[in-house]
Amino acid sequence: MDYGHPALADRLAAEYVLGTLRGGARRRFDTLLPAHPLLRGAVADWQVRLAPLADSVLGVEPSAQLWPRIEQRLFASERQDALPWWRRLGVWQGWATAATVAAIGLGVLLNQPQPVQPPIVIVLNANPDAAGVLPARFVASVTADGRALVLRPVDAVALDANRALELWAVPGQGAPRSLGLVRPDQATTVLRTQLLDNTAAFAVSLEPAGGSPTGAPTGPILSLGSI
Amino acid sequence: MTTASPRSEERSRDLAALLAQVSLGDRAAFRTLYRHTSAHLLGVVLRIQRDRAQAEDVLQEVYVNVWRAAQSFDGRLSQPLTWLTSIARNRAIDALRRHRTEPATVSSTVAGAGADDDHDMLQNFASDAPGPTDLLEQAADARALRQCLGALSGEQQQCVALAFYQGLSHAEVAAHLRQPLGSVKSWVRRGLMALKSCLDRLGVAR
Repeated sequence: MDYGHPALADRLAAEYVLGTLRGGARRRFDTLLPAHPLLRGAVADWQVRLAPLADSVLGVEPSAQLWPRIEQRLFASERQDALPWWRRLGVWQGWATAATVAAIGLGVLLNQPQPVQPPIVIVLNANPDAAGVLPARFVASVTADGRALVLRPVDAVALDANRALELWAVPGQGAPRSLGLVRPDQATTVLRTQLLDNTAAFAVSLEPAGGSPTGAPTGPILSLGSI
Repeated sequence: MTTASPRSEERSRDLAALLAQVSLGDRAAFRTLYRHTSAHLLGVVLRIQRDRAQAEDVLQEVYVNVWRAAQSFDGRLSQPLTWLTSIARNRAIDALRRHRTEPATVSSTVAGAGADDDHDMLQNFASDAPGPTDLLEQAADARALRQCLGALSGEQQQCVALAFYQGLSHAEVAAHLRQPLGSVKSWVRRGLMALKSCLDRLGVAR
């Protein structure tokens, strides 16, 4: 079945959202969805069209034991899937690189004759969960004293005009800190005083134009690299 | 473009903010999200999975999904409640093949739901008479859908209602209506296409 064909994609998406797509066909569709932007777009459109049908559903209070069961399932022991995305770095083994050393002339940038220690290079790999949203990989070079970071996209990111890419320093505990917006097509330089303090990883998220309105990531995490 | 009411827009923003916090691992925000949405989502699931115990199992799956997938919610692409409702409907439909060994019979043996209830619900939705949806502040999208549903043939409306509201498959709709399977598939397909053209004309979705 050619899932790239728009009319067929639309018909399947409609029946998927309505609920009449069943059995093997539904399972196949579910499997393909993450990798097919055309299908996902069609599904999103049908969800918008049919969404009001679900508004009139009368609410039914779940039994009191349900929430404790959910908590137990997710949080009882510190399970991997209970960790927020920036702590699930083990899942990214094979994707994240160990810290490597490269000679990059950041000394010129900081008006220093020569860095005392070589810069740290971190590869921010594409988040497999978000690869369907917007593929994005970056390389970050950070001076050893943590005062400057240069972020470079591996390939130019196809960013919509009404979106922005925002860079975050992710601590071991606590919320990510914004390092500001970064360019999708060229290197961006970030100057701070302590980029490496209390930082376990760097991440790039997709935000509305102008960046996150809340001070925390509001869009999907496209790319992550641990130090 | 949706011209949502101020109250529903505010609710949407609140839910989006909660989801953003959940994506950061904020358990308190997750608890709040559950408190605000679990009754609605259980209602959604119960329409498809009538057994209360199984529906609550499904709801547990739904919130586990929400916790894990919160980081992929994009507030620019979809409304939070639509996103949550879709997860609930999908998990409920997936659970049907696991728990249902025979097709659900849509009859008055199901407590509280006569065979005509959902037709009536759709009639109310499709007509101008005040119905449950009129008690809420309506988004323009809901009015558009109501208008477009009203333009479908009776058979098309019935099939769409049974499929959406009761989670019936083509075969189950055919059994319920005592109509050939081919006719039901055709009514569903044509009904959906007619909805799409009508809603496109009114500017809903793309």
